[in-house]
Order: sequence, then structure tokens, then C-alpha cells
Amino acid sequence: MNMKEYSTQTKAVETDTTVTLTVNGEPRQLRVPPNVGLLDALRDRLGLTGTKKGCDHGQCGACTVHLDGQAINSCLMLAVMCEGHEVTTVEGLASDAGLHPVQQAFLENDAYQCGFCTPGQMMSASALLEDDRIGTDDAAVREAMSGNICRCGAYKNILAAIQTAREQMQDAQTKGKTS
Amino acid sequence: MDTQVIGHRTPRVDGEFKLTGQADYTVDWQVRDMLYGYPVPASIAHGTLKTLHLDTARAMPGVVDIFHHGHFPELYRASKSQVSEMRLPFEDERIHYDGQYIALVVAESFEQARAAAHAVQADYDQEDGARTSLLDTDKEGQLLESEGVSRGDPEKAFDKAPVTIDHTYDIAAESHMQMEMHATLAEWRDERLIVHESSQGVVYQHKAMARIFGLPEESVEVVSHYIGSGFGNKLFMWPHAVATAGAAQMLGRPVKTILPRQQDMESGGNRPASRQRLRLGAKQDGTLLSIRHDSTTETSFVHPYVDSLGSATPSLYACDNVAISQRLLEVNHGTPCPMRAPGETSGIHALETALDELAVELGMDPLELRRRNYAKNDPASGLPWSSKHLDDCYTNAAKRFGWEKRNPTPGAMRDGDEIIGWGMATACWPAMRLSCSARVELRDDGSVMAACGTQDIGTGTYTIVAQTVAELSGVSLKDIEVRLGESTLPAGPLSGGSMVTATALPAVAAALRNAFDALKKVATGENGAFEGSDPDNLEIEAGALVDKQGKRVSFGEILSQQKLGSVSGEGQAAPGDEKNQYSFRSFGAHFVEVRWDPGISRLRVARVVSSIDIGRAINPSTARNQVEGSIVMGIGMALTEKLDYDPRDGRLINNNYADYIVPCHADMPEIDVELPDNPDYILNEFGARGVGEIGLTGIAAAIGNAVYHATGKRIREFPITLEKVMDI
Amino acid sequence: MRTFAFSAAENVDQAIIACESNNAEASYIAGGTTLIDLVKLDVMRPERVIDLNRLPLKEVERLDDGRLRIGALVSNTDLAHHPLVTQHYPLLSQALLAGASTQLRNMATTAGNIMQRTRCPYFRDVAAACNKRDPGSGCDALGGINRMHALLGTSEHCIATHPSDMCVAMAALGATLALEGPNGVREIAFGDFHRLPMDRPDLEHELEPNELITHITLDTPVVGGGSHYLKLRDRASYEFALASAAVVVAVEDGVIRDARLALGGVATKPWQAMEAEQALTGQPAKTESFEKAAEIALADALPREHNAFKVPLARQAILRALEKATQAAMNS
Repeated sequence: MNMKEYSTQTKAVETDTTVTLTVNGEPRQLRVPPNVGLLDALRDRLGLTGTKKGCDHGQCGACTVHLDGQAINSCLMLAVMCEGHEVTTVEGLASDAGLHPVQQAFLENDAYQCGFCTPGQMMSASALLEDDRIGTDDAAVREAMSGNICRCGAYKNILAAIQTAREQMQDAQTKGKTS
Repeated sequence: MDTQVIGHRTPRVDGEFKLTGQADYTVDWQVRDMLYGYPVPASIAHGTLKTLHLDTARAMPGVVDIFHHGHFPELYRASKSQVSEMRLPFEDERIHYDGQYIALVVAESFEQARAAAHAVQADYDQEDGARTSLLDTDKEGQLLESEGVSRGDPEKAFDKAPVTIDHTYDIAAESHMQMEMHATLAEWRDERLIVHESSQGVVYQHKAMARIFGLPEESVEVVSHYIGSGFGNKLFMWPHAVATAGAAQMLGRPVKTILPRQQDMESGGNRPASRQRLRLGAKQDGTLLSIRHDSTTETSFVHPYVDSLGSATPSLYACDNVAISQRLLEVNHGTPCPMRAPGETSGIHALETALDELAVELGMDPLELRRRNYAKNDPASGLPWSSKHLDDCYTNAAKRFGWEKRNPTPGAMRDGDEIIGWGMATACWPAMRLSCSARVELRDDGSVMAACGTQDIGTGTYTIVAQTVAELSGVSLKDIEVRLGESTLPAGPLSGGSMVTATALPAVAAALRNAFDALKKVATGENGAFEGSDPDNLEIEAGALVDKQGKRVSFGEILSQQKLGSVSGEGQAAPGDEKNQYSFRSFGAHFVEVRWDPGISRLRVARVVSSIDIGRAINPSTARNQVEGSIVMGIGMALTEKLDYDPRDGRLINNNYADYIVPCHADMPEIDVELPDNPDYILNEFGARGVGEIGLTGIAAAIGNAVYHATGKRIREFPITLEKVMDI
Repeated sequence: MRTFAFSAAENVDQAIIACESNNAEASYIAGGTTLIDLVKLDVMRPERVIDLNRLPLKEVERLDDGRLRIGALVSNTDLAHHPLVTQHYPLLSQALLAGASTQLRNMATTAGNIMQRTRCPYFRDVAAACNKRDPGSGCDALGGINRMHALLGTSEHCIATHPSDMCVAMAALGATLALEGPNGVREIAFGDFHRLPMDRPDLEHELEPNELITHITLDTPVVGGGSHYLKLRDRASYEFALASAAVVVAVEDGVIRDARLALGGVATKPWQAMEAEQALTGQPAKTESFEKAAEIALADALPREHNAFKVPLARQAILRALEKATQAAMNS
């Protein structure tokens, strides 16, 4: 048994479909069979492994990404359903100007331990900070974040980080308006 | 020790990697020509695999091979202390538990492997009589003589005691539910086996792999740079890793297997269910006269795992008459393994609940009862404690909590629809230290690299190693690189037992000092910056060598001047004779407020105040985070977490994150953790005792005790799901 | 997840034709939160999946008669926060927000929520006996771990609960579903849409093959009504109900003029407690009336080995929800 014997065995599934989508601001094209989830497409086919798989069934939130600006569980989305949509992952959170305020606040508030649920936590956090339908008090934030399990239990610091980021984003906005 | 970096808050040095998605967890690794493995689990818990129907799956697109009994390399077994499960994958056709692997499908893509795994059909000879749980059987299990402890005459003392309690406490089996599922990427390169594994012990796994595959140890390398936590179930290797490495060997291509969550929960370890009988005898004033702690835990039929429940009991309180026993019962479950503060989390839970019952029996404040039996020396060994300030923990936490306002009558404290319950318990965990090696390199660019074959499972090891180097070298944190999680590095400890801090930092310090010596030799040698000086007259200051005249040359300049890229030092550190002179444990106290709304049977933990004495916290923010996280995990243990094995056939029913209920954001109470700073310099030069586990001990008992105080109901079967307390 | 063919429909006709023109087992997909979950578990094995997300069914509009018409594809989040919903049907908003998580609510659609499958662990495990998944195979839940299972509407063939929160509110509010299929458009009352398991638990609803839900129209809001949705569960969020109660009451001079009561977490379908509603009407808005209603609502409850506590728990949910809704009505 050697490598050559097997290297020719990759077969294209008849139903492979081309999907064009925007990922972190960049147009990307995928050719995938329909049973490929967005999460696995991001990780295995686009090399964006920052988005994590914790349960693969929408029960933990580690796979949270933004689809057209809204937080979703990428494990429950088929890649082929993303045609024409915009996906943002943790890799797209920071900008040339540096870390996103949520990332900076997570760093400063030690809002993580193992870091595995963290990309999902931050994607949910950054979405909720942009969503004026969600309340700003601690109870509302905790409720809105409850779809992101942190087994390390860093919830206290995550909450602190989100509220810190909120203040920083508001300050930045105020400055932006006055300048 | 007056310190500049150690003992101070600093953001994690690996923070940006984790926060930008760049940290390379095992599941993230991809290598050229990599195949995907997907195990096929047994769907019975007790019986024999009769036939595997593989034709459909084999014909599916992308399927490369399917491994099973009869089609897998012949391997060697590792010893029971090296692996989580001694039985090799596909060793025979006997099925011992639901989820045991009966095959491994390997395909070109993850989707293809998964689809084919679902297409594999199996016929079984299912047998009746699966032993489904310790808690569902009358079977006693085998008495383990090695676990027995006895001092004084506890039976006689109990019989003569004026006040006694005798109760049995059950705790359901729990799942670690670490966020990153077990994963292995195995690659064979020129007869060498390279394994990426989400592992809490790369050095241990590399030894085990070498033994199983009959390879020299230097032919195996295990890598685990980032771990999506483990809580104990990644300490020792599981069969999926062997199956993956065997498949990669046979196929000549790298194979990556990530367990699906369902399989991770079925076959990737659990905290075994336990049944404990506590008999306490006391004087009317609360003085303990007798403690008997008789435990039974589960293990699987394929590996003897003992969760030592009684190990803290002889040391926790002053009492002349103590007896500990432990039994082990084999059940048809996946093999249990250590889970955060293994043994003592369950054992202290029973003891601290029993003490609360005794306090009620005595009409005494439960905190006062614990003070009354305060152990000034270790009653188990008679040795003095290296450092114990539990009395301060009691005082401080009680004050911060407002314990003096507690009305002892159950149900007497109300707030609207809610009844308030207050409870407390002691926390305790051994302070361990092992021998350890490390290497430090001083580089010509002024940076420092420190390396140790231990891991950072999220506790902050990368950061505290960097802090140690920064403290001793004066080099700033940003110029320090820490390398962990590779078995080729100098051997370091398992990330378990809360011992990495006390074990690894002295080794890093020793290596750094040796590197300093090497640097001084370079500096004082021919053409050196301090040519001819006595090395002993050179001091280390802010990343530079300084002589007595105040001449200062940076590490980098010294090396550059000699055209050296770097100098390095290897260091070893090990505990010494202090081990025979002192007992080492950390202590603390939890105070808990629960809110019980009897009108809608809603029970929530509202507030936790804890004071946990861990010696010196190298990084107070990561240390506090550990305790806060333990409290959250303890809430799950107390109220919701329970592996449901169907009593009819032993199959795991709630093998997922929706049905096995861990605390979510909305469950988080108000948490106030104090880490009093009492450095323990007897244990090591930095005064640190470790913090990963102690926070989980006692917390579920404190919650249960608070529930009793709210409801008047003593729940002795954990978790306390609402039907156990509701007014029916 | 096995392989399947995939296509996206641009309009309702296309969706119906795509479904019809193929003999293979076809499934519609919208939010995907049920389908993808169950396909991964091999519980659902569609050979063809038709994406509905491009269908123009995303509007929420008030009809001239005062009813509220909701497009099938309106997300749970958008529906929960829609001003017409928060203003006129706060019960629905509350129930939606009590369900699932932010991410799942962003994905899940209104019709998809109605179509979601049970969370019974034996249904979700292909190795277990389940009449819903595999008709005639038996029901492992009956003698198994059935703490989460139903008390009402059960049969000897199935005791699985309907897991939705949103549907419980809809059962209380009253609604009509618009269905479209090869034979045209038809309407069905919300209460008639989900079937009781009886001897065919695999037949969960009245949707014909190739039919799809296009709209959900809520009845006109109860005038002067107060409402409350109360969900009781083991943890504080992100979990299915052990018992929930959706209540709307209108109170005049201390007397209940109109009452709506539906239960979740305890029944095989979104459970409108009609007899209890009738018993409340005309009664004083007091605890005694509420207790009587709870008794009536749960008179037929059939507990199993592990879920007997749900009878008193559902009673508590009903009483507290009635109290809260009554307070809200009196304060309005």
C-alpha cells in the first residue's frame, strides 16, 4: 500500500455546485457538493479555521459567523445556500487599524481561557453590539449571548468585555461625530 | 519576594492568536494528502459484533478504506497508566459499551467519510444484563484494598458519639464537555510517527504511542500547541488516536479524525457516577469524633479507572478516628477518567454535605462547625502544612458574603416570590509538584525563548512561563517566546492535577539561570563585552548584564559581538526533602446564595463568594478566571449535569450539548472571588500552588446546602433537578 | 450527512414544481436549523433539497380586517422584534425570544418553526425504536428516559413533545396558515395543522406532499388583553421547555371577558387548552378561577415514569402566567 495507489481516488461528486460568496470582504468561489456545511467549507476548503466546531448541531455556538451581518450557526447552514451572501468570520473581525474593539476588550478582560469558543463568542458579541433591538443591560446581554457555551466558564469576563467594548465603540462614535 | 511581573495582571501572551483565529488547535491542522477519518460507533452496550456490512460504504465516493477487527495493524497494548483505555481499537468483536468503535471510515473529504460511516451497517448479538449504572444496581463492586485508610477506631467512636449522622450521597456521571472534541492528525514520515493531538500530556502520549506501535520513543512526536480545553479527558490517549495512527500507517497518508460530539461523549471519558456513605459522629459542641467515608465508583469493563473519592477526607478536618474505603464497579459505559479535581470533587461534595447535615443536627452554624474542627497540621500524616490560611478564607468570604445575617431556619429568608437559601462549604485540593525539564535560549535580537514539554489548556501556562522569564531576565513580555505542547521539548508535566505552575516554573527558572551562566561565559571570554571579568560580579538587569561599575551591555549585544545567534540553558527542577517534612494542600471556602421560587419551581444560583488560597497567583487575572470558571462548572454539577444512560440497555441518551445541560451565560451568578496572597515558598521559589481544580471542590455541596436552607429539603442525589425540590 | 441534490427556487411555483417533478424524497429548506441537524444524524435522508430562501415571503403586514399576515420566511428574530408584533402580539414576541438562541432565531423562519421536529432523543437516534421516524418500529421513549416527554395528546405509539415556543403563542393567539401546492392555495386553522400522534406519529401535520406554508395570519388581537408567556426549564436560557404556558386575558371589572391559554413542553402538539379557556371566561380574575382552569387543562394528563412532575409544573406555569397576564391586563 503506498501513496500513489490512493492519490488518484478522489472523485468529484456529480452534484458539485459552484458557489460564489463574499468572505471577509473578499469574493470567494467554492466548488462543493451540496452536503457540505458552511462551517466545514470555511475550515476545510477556505482554510479559515478560526471558526470552530463544538457540536455541529447548533447547540454550542462555537461556529458563529456573520451572514449578511447577522450572527448564525455556520454548522447548520449549507455552503450552497450562501450564493451571493456575505460571510464574516473571526479572521475578518480585525482591520488594518488593529483589533476590533471586541477583540481588544476580550484581551484586556481575559474573557476566555482555552479560546476555543472565543471566536464564536466574539462574533455573537460584535453582532449584538450593532443590533439596537437587543437591550444593553447585563441581563439582556447575557440572554442574547446564551447561544454561546463557554465550558471554561469565562462568562463573567465575557460580559465585562462586551460592556467594555460597547463603551469603547460609543466613545469612538462620539469622537467621530465631534471631529 | 518583591516582584515586577509575577503576581501582576497581564493579558495572555497568546491572546492575540486566540482572538484572531490564528491559534493552531489540533482540529485546525491540515497537511498535504490528508484523509479524514470518521469512526463508526457500536449501537449496543453489551454483546458481540456479528457482521459488518461494508459494501455500500466502500463503494461510496471518496472512500479510501474502512478499518475494523481483522483489518487493522497488530499492535501492542500500553500499560494502564499510559492510556485512558487499555483495549486497542478493533482488538476483538466484543462490545463493552455504547459508542465503542467498530470501524473507522477513511475518505478523501470529511463529508465523504461521514456519509460512508452512516452507511455502515452492523449486526450484533446483543446480550441481556448490561450493567447500566452504579446508581441502578445493588451490586457493590470490588473493594480496593489499596485505597483504604484508617486511623483510630472510627466504629467505636461512632457508636459512642452523642450526635451522629449516616447518609448516602449519589452523584450522576458527568461529561467533561470540553469545547474542542477529541482529535488526532497522524502522519508517518520516514518511519516516524507525527501526531497532532488535542492533548493534556504530549510527552505521555508520545511514550504510549511508541509502545503501542513498537517504535523507539525518538521515532514518535506529539504536538498540541493549543487545546480547546480538556478538564482531564485529554490527559491520556484514547483509542481514536490509535485507530487514526494505525489507519495512517496502513494507508501511507496522513489521516485526521475529529470525533463528533456524540462519540466524544460516549467514548471520550466521563466523571464516573458515585455512591458514598458518610457516617459522622460528633460531640454536642461539634467536635468530630468519627468520620467514615465509604465510596463506590464506576469503571468500564475495558479499563480499571479509580476515582479516589476519599483522598481528601483524612486531611480536611481534625478527627482522631477516620476510615476510608473505596469500591469499584464495572459497568457497560465508556471508560471514565479524571475530570477536574478528580475524586475529591465528588468526595468533598459528600463530606461537606454531611457536615451541613451534622450542623443542622447539632443546631450549629455550619461555618462554626468547620472552624471547630480546624486541622492545624495534616491529620493524615501529622506533618505541618506548608502554608494554610483557611481560617482567613472563612473569615474573609463570610464577611464579603454577609453570612452573619443568615437566619438559620430553612425558608425563613424571602424576597418577593423567591425564597433565599445560603450555604457554604470548604474547598481543598492537593498542591503537587513533579520533576520537570526546560530549555531557555537567549537570542542575539534580544529576545528570549523558553520551552517546556507541558501544555497550556487555557489555564494560562504560556503567559506564566513568559512572566517568569520576564521577572528573572528583565526582558519585556513582548520579546519572550514560549514554546509548549511538543513532545520533543524538554519533558514537562501533564496539564493536570493543578501542578504545572509549581512544577514547570522552577524548571524554566533553572534553565534561564543556566542560560545566564552561558551568557556570562560568553561575555567574560575572549573579545567579550566583559572580557576578563569575574562572571560572579555580573548581574542581570532589564535584559542586560551589568557589572559592579555600572557598565551595562544587553544580552543581544553580547551575543552579536561574539557572532553568536544564541546561547541556551537546560534546566531541571524537582521537589526535594520538603516533601517529607510538610503536607501540601490548597484550601478555600465557597459561600452561595440560591433563589428558589416555589410557585414555579425555579431554582437558580444567584451569588457566589469564594476565597481560595492558592499561594501566590503568578497572574491574578488568569488565576481568578480559573476559579470563576470552576464555579460555573460547579453550578452545572449541582443543578443540571447528568449523563443519562438508558437503564434498559446502557445506551447514552443525552450525548449532545442540547440534552446534557451545562450552564449558559444566563445562568451565571454574581461571582466574587478573592485570592488571598499567601506565597508558599516551601513548595517552590515562586510561592505558587496551582489553581485549575480547587474551585470546583465544595461548590456543588455549598449549592446543595443553600438549597436545603431555602427549601428545607436535603437532596442527596445530584444533580438537584427541579422535580427533586418542587412542592408537589 | 448523506449526499443529496440541491436547487434553489425563485418563487413558490418553482418550489412546488421542483419538489413534484422529482420522485426522490424531497425536502424544503429555509433556516435549516431542523433539517441540517437531522440530516447530520441520519434521521432525515432527503435525496433532494429545495432552498426556499429566495421566495418573496418575508413581509409582515397588517390586513384591513386587523389580522397580521406573516410571510413564511420571516426570521424568528425579525418577527419577535417587528413593531406590529411587539405592539399587538407581545405574547408572540416573548415566546419567540424564549426559544433557542440568538443565532438560531436569526436563521429559523416562521414556517420552519411550525415544521420543526421533536427533540425526543429516541427519535434523534437511528438505532432506537421510534414510530415517528420508522413507523411500526415501536417507541423506546415509553419505557425509557422520558423526563422531557409529553403528558397531553400522547398515544401508546408516541409521547414526543412538539418543541416550539412560538407555536404555543400562536395556539393561544389563534392563526390561519396559507398553504400552496400543486392543487392550488388553501387555508387551514393553526389548531388543525398539527396532528396528534395516535397510531401514525410519523404523520405530523396536514401538509400534503409538495405543499408548503406561504403565510401565517394571526387572528385579530384580543382587545384590552394582557398576556404572558412563561417558560420553565432546567437552565436559564437556550433550552427547550419542561413546561410553558401562553396566556392572553381580557379583564373587565375584575371579570375575565376573554381568555386564551396554550401549553408547551407537555404536549405532542402546540396545545390550546380550549376547555380551560371556556372555564375562565366570565369568572373572576382570581386565583380560584386560575386553579380551576389549570385543573381542567391538565385533567387528561397522562404521566410516564420520569415526567410526572410536569403535571404540577405545568399547573404552576399556568397559574403564574395567568396571574401575570391578568396584572398586565388590569394595568393596561
